[in-house]
Amino acid sequence: MLKLIRLEWKKNRIGKYARNALILTGVLFLMLLTVAGELESVETRFSYGRDMLKSGVEMFTNLSFVIFTSVMLAAFIVGTYRDKTINLMFSYPISRKMILGSQMAAVWIFNFTALVLSKIAIFAALAATRRLTHISAQSIALGSGMFYAEILADSAVMVSIGFVSLPVGMFLKSSKAAVIAGVVIVCFTQGNIGSYTLMGNIPFYTVLLAASAVSVFASLYRVETRDV
Amino acid sequence: MSYILQTNHLTKIIDGKELVKNVNIHVKKGEIYGFLGPNGAGKTTVLKMATNLWKPTEGSVELFGKPLTPKSYEVFRRMGSIIEFPVFYDHLSGRENLSLHCEYMGYYHAGSVEKALEMLELSEAADKPVKTYSLGMKQRLGIARAVLVEPELLVLDEPTNGLDPAGMKHLRDLLKMLCAEYGITMILSSHILSEVESIADTIGIINHGNMIKEISMREISEMNTAYIRLSTADTKAAAYVLADKLELKQFKVMDARTIHIYDTGVSANDLSKTLAENNVVIDAVGKQSESLEDYFLKLTEGEGKVC
Repeated sequence: MLKLIRLEWKKNRIGKYARNALILTGVLFLMLLTVAGELESVETRFSYGRDMLKSGVEMFTNLSFVIFTSVMLAAFIVGTYRDKTINLMFSYPISRKMILGSQMAAVWIFNFTALVLSKIAIFAALAATRRLTHISAQSIALGSGMFYAEILADSAVMVSIGFVSLPVGMFLKSSKAAVIAGVVIVCFTQGNIGSYTLMGNIPFYTVLLAASAVSVFASLYRVETRDV
Repeated sequence: MSYILQTNHLTKIIDGKELVKNVNIHVKKGEIYGFLGPNGAGKTTVLKMATNLWKPTEGSVELFGKPLTPKSYEVFRRMGSIIEFPVFYDHLSGRENLSLHCEYMGYYHAGSVEKALEMLELSEAADKPVKTYSLGMKQRLGIARAVLVEPELLVLDEPTNGLDPAGMKHLRDLLKMLCAEYGITMILSSHILSEVESIADTIGIINHGNMIKEISMREISEMNTAYIRLSTADTKAAAYVLADKLELKQFKVMDARTIHIYDTGVSANDLSKTLAENNVVIDAVGKQSESLEDYFLKLTEGEGKVC
């Protein structure tokens, strides 16, 4: 399985995605740098609570990487049905479930790692520049184990939720549909209408996680007996 | 007799449409099997089922003496194939595509990629991205990939698509060499009969999803395939003489100037003499052999019905 994942990265030129993830992290940092002071202001803390900086970092990184996950799913899996390279893959002496599983794992592992590193890098960079933005040291608890545990758990959930876009792209045989589905997921999970938001809503996230698990199952279900 | 590839009453129905019905093909070890049929006859459908890309609605496929099931994976280690058209990771170079193929096939032989590239005359373009390749180059790269891991069975669907005449000849020579020197069994589909005729040992003819005939090339040449070709400006008078004076029953007026005579009991000399005695002017008369094309047309279009 590890070899298959490595081959998926190799043939899809994972370096290109790593470079894009790095650029994305840099852009997100610069954007957050400009609003960090505002998010940490007394008025914001009074109106919305003390965690707005943390929430801001998580929101922007999550929404970016959910879309990134959809884009990679479109390229790694949906695109292979469109350009017929899946026919080539299914002519190898490897089970179809293993092939699709390795493609999904290649996307999940990359995005999970990239999202975790991106969050840590942005938090670290914000901490390093806090003299410029006047944010408090307590807002970014880089020394706390819980801080990292939350990042790991949150990133795993968000990347997994991104997989809901997979069956949309597969069903419509369209990479664009998969990406658009990713954007819609972002709107629901990170957006708000007035003061109403589903961001951080655990039952909603649980439903999405279940939908994601069903999506993966549906993509693998009876794949051995399907015509391609 | 055991076969490398055998199908038993293979049937595929999609959305109520019968694409192929009761197809039985038998490919012997070490032979080149030409799978012939007009466009849309069902060749690709059969080959897709033979390579497990599509599953049969009814019937079965046997590869290397074992039934092909949805979980038959190991058998693909012994096969190379191109179905419909060769697909590649276009952003990768030809060499990278072949190396990836080796990795997926679990085939690690130093120099095998170079050898395949050289064999298909692609060494110079090996490091260019496949998206810059012409159709013919992609076809050759597909064949290089199919033969790369020295398979026992090659399944090639219309392998000469996109090749120029020189490329076609090169491919024919290569396939003959692979069969003769490496003992690779091949099934290749085509609608270009002359290609198959020159290299196939056995042909299978399919039309409208039905297998019409499976026959060895030797049998075709031994069959009643010889005929006398008569050219005359007055085919009507000539046909009258053939039927009434010479009492021939098996001949066919092909066009306004040509008659094919399939009766074996008459010589070209007797024919010329009798026609001349009856004032039929002959432009040319001579014995011809029926080509695979004639045989194919006879079977697929029913044009072989003689008078």
